[in-house]
Amino acid sequence: MLRNSLCSLLKNISITEKCAQSNVKTLFTSAANLRDVTDRREMLRSMPAADEGTAGEKAVDVDSLINQNFNVFPDVNTPNRLFNGVPFKDIPIFNIRVSPNNTILCLTTAKGIPQLIRSCGIEGFKNTRKGTNIAAQATAISIGTKALEKGFKSVRVTVRGLGPGRMSAIKGLQMSGLEIISITDTTRVSWNPPRPRKQRKL
Amino acid sequence: MRHLKFIARTIFVQNNDVDAACRTLNRILGREDILDQFRRTRFFEKPHQFRRRINFEKCKAIYNEDMDRKIQFVLRKNRADPFPGSF
Repeated sequence: MLRNSLCSLLKNISITEKCAQSNVKTLFTSAANLRDVTDRREMLRSMPAADEGTAGEKAVDVDSLINQNFNVFPDVNTPNRLFNGVPFKDIPIFNIRVSPNNTILCLTTAKGIPQLIRSCGIEGFKNTRKGTNIAAQATAISIGTKALEKGFKSVRVTVRGLGPGRMSAIKGLQMSGLEIISITDTTRVSWNPPRPRKQRKL
Repeated sequence: MRHLKFIARTIFVQNNDVDAACRTLNRILGREDILDQFRRTRFFEKPHQFRRRINFEKCKAIYNEDMDRKIQFVLRKNRADPFPGSF
């Protein structure tokens, strides 16, 4: 539409100029040739992949590390293992719920009674800004300092879902001064789920 | 007991190195196909997409198996004839 109107305008210009004086170079633009993406799908494919907080998913160098360190994984005695004099099963839990559009952090006791809750939306980030790693980190730092004020020093962390806040929220908790003892993934995955919603049209 | 919370999909943070722990956890989840399955079930996978994906995975597995065998053959040691084919 715009291009058509531009072309007609250019034509008009060239005609008028031709009328005024001959041997004048007509205007032309190379914008159409310079444009490397033509349709939306191609543009989406050329965009960098969205950050889902899954750094190291495809890394190969971790594999040898996994085989070496057996003490980084829990075993049968883990619930009674002492961390700063407290058994693992009695350490408060930080539940982090990550989605592409938001990050919600909730501190609960070992029994699961909620103590603090904060999300990127509450923190003041609105709309698309909620779903960024910066928002998640800021939220995590603010709730982490509050948790420290309440007297929680060391926590275990559970993360659910994929999104930009997945890793940065954990990093933010650590930056606030909390000691993170373990990280658990509680993403709900099923191999025979109910029928999901239909695919997005791009 | 098999999939207790804080036993399954759990990793301890060592020396306050949260980043490394996260990366290891992500690597394991990726290797076990958990993250891929999660992404796949966000939207309904139509039967033709399912078929295409399964066929692609089959072909890939066959290719990888063959290629692994080839690499193992080239890298093998303690051969009776160290330079086969040359005089």
